[in-house]
Amino acid sequence: MKILVPIKRVPDPALKTKVKDGAIDLTGANWVVNPFDEYAVETALRLLENGEAGARVAGAEIVVVTIGPEDAAQQLRSALATGADRAIRVDAEDKALDAGVVVAALVQIIAAEKPDLVILGKQAVDGDANQVGQMLAGKLGWAQATFAASVELAADQKSVLVGREVDAGVEYKRIGTPGILTVDLRIVSPHSVKNNVTPATFAYPDGPRYASLKGIMAAKKKPMDVKKLSDYGVTTTPVTREVGIELPAARAAGQIVADIPTLVKKLADEAKAI
Amino acid sequence: MLRQTVRDLTREIVEPQAMAHDESGTMNRGLLRKLGELGLLGVTIPEADGGAGLDATASVIVHEELAYSDPGFALAYLAHALLFVNNFYWAASPAQRAKYLPRTLTGEWIGGMGMTEPSVGTDVLGMQTVARKVGDEYVLDGRKIFITNAVEGDVFCAYAKLDERITTFVVERGTPGFSTSDKIPKMGMRASTMGELIFDGCRLPAGNLLGREGGGITNMMRNLEIERLGLAAMSLGIARRCLDVMVAYSMERRAFGQPLHELGQIQRYIGESFAKTEAIRALTYGVAATVSPDSRNRLGTDAAKLFAATAAKEVADAAVQVLGGYGYCAEYRVEQFLRDAKLIEIGGGTIEAHQKNITRDLTRR
Ligand SMILES: Cc1cc2nc3c(=O)[nH]c(=O)nc-3n(C[C@H](O)[C@H](O)[C@H](O)COP(=O)(O)OP(=O)(O)OC[C@H]3O[C@@H](n4cnc5c(N)ncnc54)[C@H](O)[C@@H]3O)c2cc1C
Repeated sequence: MKILVPIKRVPDPALKTKVKDGAIDLTGANWVVNPFDEYAVETALRLLENGEAGARVAGAEIVVVTIGPEDAAQQLRSALATGADRAIRVDAEDKALDAGVVVAALVQIIAAEKPDLVILGKQAVDGDANQVGQMLAGKLGWAQATFAASVELAADQKSVLVGREVDAGVEYKRIGTPGILTVDLRIVSPHSVKNNVTPATFAYPDGPRYASLKGIMAAKKKPMDVKKLSDYGVTTTPVTREVGIELPAARAAGQIVADIPTLVKKLADEAKAI
Repeated sequence: MLRQTVRDLTREIVEPQAMAHDESGTMNRGLLRKLGELGLLGVTIPEADGGAGLDATASVIVHEELAYSDPGFALAYLAHALLFVNNFYWAASPAQRAKYLPRTLTGEWIGGMGMTEPSVGTDVLGMQTVARKVGDEYVLDGRKIFITNAVEGDVFCAYAKLDERITTFVVERGTPGFSTSDKIPKMGMRASTMGELIFDGCRLPAGNLLGREGGGITNMMRNLEIERLGLAAMSLGIARRCLDVMVAYSMERRAFGQPLHELGQIQRYIGESFAKTEAIRALTYGVAATVSPDSRNRLGTDAAKLFAATAAKEVADAAVQVLGGYGYCAEYRVEQFLRDAKLIEIGGGTIEAHQKNITRDLTRR
């Protein structure tokens, strides 16, 4: 089975965003893999291994791809260090990209790679656009399951059963392969990913795995193809345009109230919440 | 990528547990085990023997990043990964490696090293622990003090005099005649423990001789440089953290109608702390690049640790000062970093010992 995971680099969300002259100040930014994309890589790894034995299922392959500048190779290496097998970087400046361009490139890469599943983060935490997975499914005419909180790969590997958290509970949806999956935070809970290989009782640590030192060393030797958008015949140009950037207004300081009656009164009179 | 990985893991799993371990004065054994799973306990051990085969710079990166959140734990890590694992590895026979490496590389066993004694520290050659050869065994008598990881350690490199010549032995917990004391309370580095190693007619099989008889000084010297770099790197982590905290605080806190960083005297703390931090970084990484199993830099490592220890302590002190009363209290943790930083002026060679060594080397004809 082959899984393709597109990943994007984003400025470290744990650090403060700086805005200068109507644009995000990226000088000296610490770039990291978009957290949801890390979850996507983790999902792919869990789907294709025996977690208890720590061994990959025979014949399984995970390909990570990014569309971005030369520096973005580092985020691909991080994914290789946690266990992905191979990487593709399509060279492009961030400014030359929007969801449409990225999808146009991915469609071509998918045509060449023929993966059984494409797993993406539900959104990138920089623009929070939440578009690529859905657009990709539309363009390819493939089945999609978005915001996956759990996934189980059928024993015959022909379909996945996906749990999606919706307002009324959890919706389960089975999609056949090839298909598109976008993942949410809870996909990296200890029992969220099942593949009929890892024993059902096995609990993963919460969250995506850290690269081991061996993995980091091995990643340096794993193959990374570098392509251009034109190699895939992509001529699409961005249709979205950045008009301006400003930080949200600072939140007013909280209040500490003396007792419950005061709280209720404030909620009713000031916040008009009840 | 090594730095990013250790930084992420420090932020996510080291930082949240640090304060509690400083308060309780305990070492987090599970966390060391986790580092073992990720291969971080054998950074400098060749790949063929289960390590990562990386250089002194890699070891410096790991120590720096861990110390940014938890210098005490970083010290326990140093005692395990450098004072035991690295020290042991380069002196050990293949049979000894096969016996002790696998369990210490995973962190299943914790290691430490015993050199200092109740009546001699800096004057190592004056050590009084003795070893005698009795039949097929060595019998050790004496005590070691201030030994990091003594309380929870499973295996130690210990130095003793055999016919007046310093010799290294591997000592396992459970060996007849060997015991350890309770933990010794201390000022800082409280997320690691220290205690005594007590040898009272401790009987070791001949196979526990590490290296050759009388080879203790060679082993000691071989390891000294990477140990000092590890401690200098911890100073860098401490300085970086304290600088970050003081800068952030100076932007939030206001006094006399302006943010603290507008005040000239505060600017001096920030400016000098930044310069010191950068200087520690440049010196430590510069020297690290010259140290490997087959290239040594005694002067450089003495200089790096001498400078880093005091500079980091001063940066921590400046952070406490900039934060005022909040700095003296536990919440922002800078008082802890000041307590922790002080150790590096003492452990692994006092600053006076570095001054003495440097001068001796420079005046040698
Ligand atoms: C938290 C902690 C952890 C430690 N971990 C370990 C460990 O894991 N393993 C281990 O073996 N040891 C360990 N030590 C011991 C440490 O290495 C010694 O404390 C250190 O080497 C100094 O020895 P001492 O304490 O006996 O001081 P002394 O040697 O008695 O020195 C006392 C003072 O005299 C000065 N002095 C001594 N000789 C000279 C001289 N010739 N010229 C000028 N000044 C001199 C010293 O600089 C110091 O100021 C640890 C210590 C601490 C505090």
